[in-house]
Amino acid sequence: MVETKNNIAIEINDLSKNYHGMNKMALSSLNLKVKKGEIFGYLGPNGAGKSTTIRLLMNFIQPSSGRATILGLDVVKDSVAVKRKIGYLSGESAMYPKMTARQYLNYMRDLHPVGDMKYTKELVKRLNVELDKKIGELSRGNQQKVAIVQALMHKPEVIILDEPSSGLDPLMQEEFYKLLEEAKSRGACIFMSSHILGEVQRVCDRIGIIREGKLVAEQNLLNLASSGITIFDVTFKDRVDQKALKNIKGVQKVETNGSSATVHIQGDLSPLLAYLSKQNVSRLETKTMDLEELFLHYYQKGGGSK
Amino acid sequence: MIALIKWNIWQKRWGIMWWIIGAVSLIFMTLIFYPTFRNQAAELQRSFDTLPDAAVQLFGGSTDFFSPVGFLNSQIYFIVLPLLLGILSINLGNGLIGKEEQDKTIDNLLSKPISRTKLLTAKAFSGALILLIVSVSAALTTIATVKIVKLDIPLSRIFAISLICYLLNLSFGAVAFAISATGRARVASVGVSMTVALGGYLLTSLSGTVKWLSTPSKILPFDYYRSEEILQGTYRWRNIIYFICLIAICGFVSWFSFRKRDLS
Repeated sequence: MVETKNNIAIEINDLSKNYHGMNKMALSSLNLKVKKGEIFGYLGPNGAGKSTTIRLLMNFIQPSSGRATILGLDVVKDSVAVKRKIGYLSGESAMYPKMTARQYLNYMRDLHPVGDMKYTKELVKRLNVELDKKIGELSRGNQQKVAIVQALMHKPEVIILDEPSSGLDPLMQEEFYKLLEEAKSRGACIFMSSHILGEVQRVCDRIGIIREGKLVAEQNLLNLASSGITIFDVTFKDRVDQKALKNIKGVQKVETNGSSATVHIQGDLSPLLAYLSKQNVSRLETKTMDLEELFLHYYQKGGGSK
Repeated sequence: MIALIKWNIWQKRWGIMWWIIGAVSLIFMTLIFYPTFRNQAAELQRSFDTLPDAAVQLFGGSTDFFSPVGFLNSQIYFIVLPLLLGILSINLGNGLIGKEEQDKTIDNLLSKPISRTKLLTAKAFSGALILLIVSVSAALTTIATVKIVKLDIPLSRIFAISLICYLLNLSFGAVAFAISATGRARVASVGVSMTVALGGYLLTSLSGTVKWLSTPSKILPFDYYRSEEILQGTYRWRNIIYFICLIAICGFVSWFSFRKRDLS
């Protein structure tokens, strides 16, 4: 989809967050755009800044600088209007343990009226929610299903998910992914943080990788294979000259193990091939980068920065 | 906002019921024995008149325990009911925002189209309403029991003391609410508001004997709650301005600190 002003759902400009009393920025000059009808995966380990970004978008915390808009509305100044269009789900969904799921959903519906009850009923049925049990008596996964219903029941235009599928069994995860795809086909934008790479690869169109509060990569998953990074597993007959490999143009990373080397190269392969043609190579395998390798690439020491 | 208030009250319905049962039982069980005391009032009063001045000050500077006003004041309104409702009020003030934040349920509330001001206002109204429900139950029980035991006190004075007792306790709750809205630890909120409540009682009580305490005691709400004067009809109504101002200041502090701060 071509990026125009009208089809941007989430726009983040130089958004930073520095928590009081912390030396390090929790989020540093984040710039990001997510389109309508797109599922964006936001990756990073614990403490990288994923939840900080989401809490800023939800106006739970205040930015130190920069701004973010959702559907053209400022997340701080127009917070209430923004939330009319948002569905939010946290992986650590905290609900009222003494309420039944039905009472909880009624409460949430009172706070954010749902026009069409049919869809709520459909969600309850598809996710097999136990409506008349107290939330405190439900398992972690069943609580998460209630939280999913409250986030999606008003058919939001933007869905913000923070580690959404934690606790769901594989069948329910699959149903949840279908719900996200249906929302996407309605034109909803889904912004989803996760560290479950399989989940992200399964549902997301595009990802962003965050490390120590900085966005270090944005990648379209549909084109991940053509991302430009190729991995060579090479076995030499002689000793590996790691320094020579590292000096080849385009080489991003070299890992050696005895006479074997794994070389990550971006862009033109010919300098590496030219070098290898002059060596005694006994085995050569190439593969394109998958999400896990991309993630590790950016997370290992010295990984690229955007 | 109505929905928020409705669900807050609904969530606390069993707690409210138990507080009502507690307050009603306490008042009824205390006042129902008045006829026994009334028959021996003169003798009992003589023995209490010999109490040393310091001990008298702890009872609010009065040794009148057995006249209708003295009995109702000493047994219910001087310390027992303010203490009981104070605990409820501080508990509500501390928990209405603080517990939601501690349990992270506030995230779900604020993910809905509700402004922080509206959430805060709804929480404050819920607390005030719960306290009102229990206070009205206590007042109605007092009125009914006073009639049963023929305690000769005008109804208007019982209404007046119920109102001022409500305002006193609302001010304790407002202090707790303001501190919890700033995001301070819940224990700090309880600690400070309990100090305001009990410290006020002690300072006001002791200020009769220790004169220099009369100035600091004026800072605290208890000094403006003069239960005996209210029941005798000599209360200066301008004292309630203090409660109104304190509640308004706490409301402003709550709003100012909560509207833009980071949620934990």
